Amino acid sequence: MLSIEARYRGLLEAAPDSMVLVDANGQIVLSNHQAEKQFGYGRDELLGQPVKNIIPVGFAERLIADGTRGAAEALAQQIGTGIELAARRKDGIEFPIEIMLSPLQSGDGVLVVAAIRDISVRKAAEEHLSQMEARYRGLLEAAPDAIVVVNELGEIILLNVQAEKQFGYRRDELLGQQVRAIIPEGFAERLIADGTRTAAEALAQQIGTGIELSGRRKDGSEFPIEIMLSPLQSADGILVTAAIRDITERKLAERHLAQMESRYRGLLEAAPDAMLLMNTDGLIVLLNLQAEKQFGYRRDELAGRPLRTVIPEVWTIIADVKQRVAGALRSADNSQAQEIGAGIEFNGRRKDDTDFPIEVTLSILRTVEGVLVTVAIRDITTRKNAEARLLQTMQELNRSNEELGQFAYIASHDLQEPLRMVASYTQLLSKRYKGRLDADADEFIAFAVDGANRMQLLIQDLLAYSRIGTKGTPALLTSSESALERALVNLGGAVEDSGALVTHDSLPEVLADPRQLVQLFQNLVGNAIKYQGTGVPTIHVSCAQNAQAMWAFSVRDNGLGIDPKYFERIFGMFQRLHKREEFAGTGIGLAICKKIVERHGGVIGVESQLGQGSTFRFALPGAPAQ
Amino acid sequence: MTSGSALDRAPIEVLLVEDSLGDVRLTREALHEANRAVHLHVAFDGVEAMDFLTRAGSNTRAPRPDLILLDLNLPRMDGREVLVQIKANESLRTIPTIILTTSDAEADIVKSYELQANCFLSKPVQLDAFESLVKSINDFWLTKVKLPQPVEGRLP
Repeated sequence: MLSIEARYRGLLEAAPDSMVLVDANGQIVLSNHQAEKQFGYGRDELLGQPVKNIIPVGFAERLIADGTRGAAEALAQQIGTGIELAARRKDGIEFPIEIMLSPLQSGDGVLVVAAIRDISVRKAAEEHLSQMEARYRGLLEAAPDAIVVVNELGEIILLNVQAEKQFGYRRDELLGQQVRAIIPEGFAERLIADGTRTAAEALAQQIGTGIELSGRRKDGSEFPIEIMLSPLQSADGILVTAAIRDITERKLAERHLAQMESRYRGLLEAAPDAMLLMNTDGLIVLLNLQAEKQFGYRRDELAGRPLRTVIPEVWTIIADVKQRVAGALRSADNSQAQEIGAGIEFNGRRKDDTDFPIEVTLSILRTVEGVLVTVAIRDITTRKNAEARLLQTMQELNRSNEELGQFAYIASHDLQEPLRMVASYTQLLSKRYKGRLDADADEFIAFAVDGANRMQLLIQDLLAYSRIGTKGTPALLTSSESALERALVNLGGAVEDSGALVTHDSLPEVLADPRQLVQLFQNLVGNAIKYQGTGVPTIHVSCAQNAQAMWAFSVRDNGLGIDPKYFERIFGMFQRLHKREEFAGTGIGLAICKKIVERHGGVIGVESQLGQGSTFRFALPGAPAQ
Repeated sequence: MTSGSALDRAPIEVLLVEDSLGDVRLTREALHEANRAVHLHVAFDGVEAMDFLTRAGSNTRAPRPDLILLDLNLPRMDGREVLVQIKANESLRTIPTIILTTSDAEADIVKSYELQANCFLSKPVQLDAFESLVKSINDFWLTKVKLPQPVEGRLP
């Protein structure tokens, strides 16, 4: 016994760990100095004590003494490493230990050697670690994105609740699974395991942000994801943390945007005008098909060139445009497109150096790339030609009007001169020789006198008619009531002789040439008196505002009336409905009325039935709105 | 003192400046009817009229007219120029000068008065009206109106 003790004592004392030797009854038969110190006992104080005193649970039970196992089985069980148990010091304080058991055949039967290591420090470290892990786990779970941690083999070793949700798996269904199950392509290939890359290369490649891939749910449906990879050096080798973001919404928005862009591009190309997009440096950044056609350039020949390439005079407005752009940017108006110039006329220059007239509209366009200016260019060659033709026609019309005016002067002066001779001398002939020649001579002279008189009237009326256009004064605010009264004064004799009863409503102020308005009333009322049956002429003038805000006048009489088939004809020049013997006159009166009314922008018409009187209606513009 | 109302008085001298023979005859007939004392002299253009008034050439014995009837549109020198010269001449400017023309253009009327015409009359087309107008001229200008005696010393 002593010899054994002596033999082992040396070994025991040399060991770094506490060592106790326990017999089959659970009694400590030997302990080393480290053990006595660790458990707080004096020298040899542990000898003969049950091992339960220092290791209350988990050691003594392993000894053979429970009678339920065979010696061989017990022996096998007594062999163990890294068994973690709790130890108790003499003062009752417990601390964590790890024991390593090994059986020892001896003369006294099977003994068990227990090497006991104080693992307080390790346990504390482990606890700290697990706290840390819990904390990181909290962070992991709080992350908005799905996060999975994958090892070098492509196996998922960690995931958060967002990952469960996104992919539709329970956590335990994914742990240990290949990451290909949820990200079929593009992720696993990045891991080190393919053998073609060095560890450093792989590590560099594992770092990545914004990689767009496709995710697959448990139900097989796929959805777009963006992953961000970061490598993690760990005790188990290189791990890769993947933050996975569902970008379904963003993809939809992007597709919508792309659709919109293609739609706008479609609009741009479909626009009938040439469209250029210019940056604030005056360089063309975009153009459409029409711009290519109109200017004769290919798209790539114009992109990046200054706008003055196609609009040489554009420098005249560049300063203004820049000012307006700056002004628009300062203003609160944030609408995408803001017009800053419209209808500006320039000459456009084609590639072959020919020029053509254009009209330009400029707008500010706010884009993600900054402020651009859209330049819409319309080829106005056709319009310009039309304008030139119109101007030419106007000039021709003016000239012809002038000639007509000259004709009126010729009619008044040069034609009247010889006419006056004919009229005067036939009248002189009639006066001196009537009844002194034969009856034929008297008749001939009478026809000559009559013809000369009629011609004179025609010329005078023609003159009066042509003077409406050439001698008119500008329209003034004129009292139509005063004009009617003046006309009645002018008609004086005719009104008195016929005993006509002329009444009128209160009449408004109108925009008219005062003298022509008098003439208009004079002709209409004069006609009403003149074309009268047997009764007393009764004439009423009234007025009301019509839908076009014009004053609608009516001159109603109880005269002969007019057959509706002549309604158009009576307003023509020298048109008469009666024989000369019945009613005198050249038939110019209503033509003059029509010309006066039309010159004032109105219309004239008549309502009548034979034998039931006539109502002449005309409209004149009123006072301009205040 | 000029007076045309009596036959036994000195004749009334009237200068008619008119290029139309028909008008000359009509005016002569009408004036004769209105006043037998009128002695009508005729110039057929403006140059002849100024020669008569200034007694130039063969007109050395021409009388100073009591009234001038002046047409506007005349050959060689038109009525406006004649009017300017008459009114620029100190001894002639007091002679009443009546524009008697076919024109009734506003521009001609305005211009004539600006050039100091004594009145502007348009020739009517009707014979009756013309005769009546000439009678009016006689009744007013040759009968009623009082005119200054020509200053003898200033006579050309």
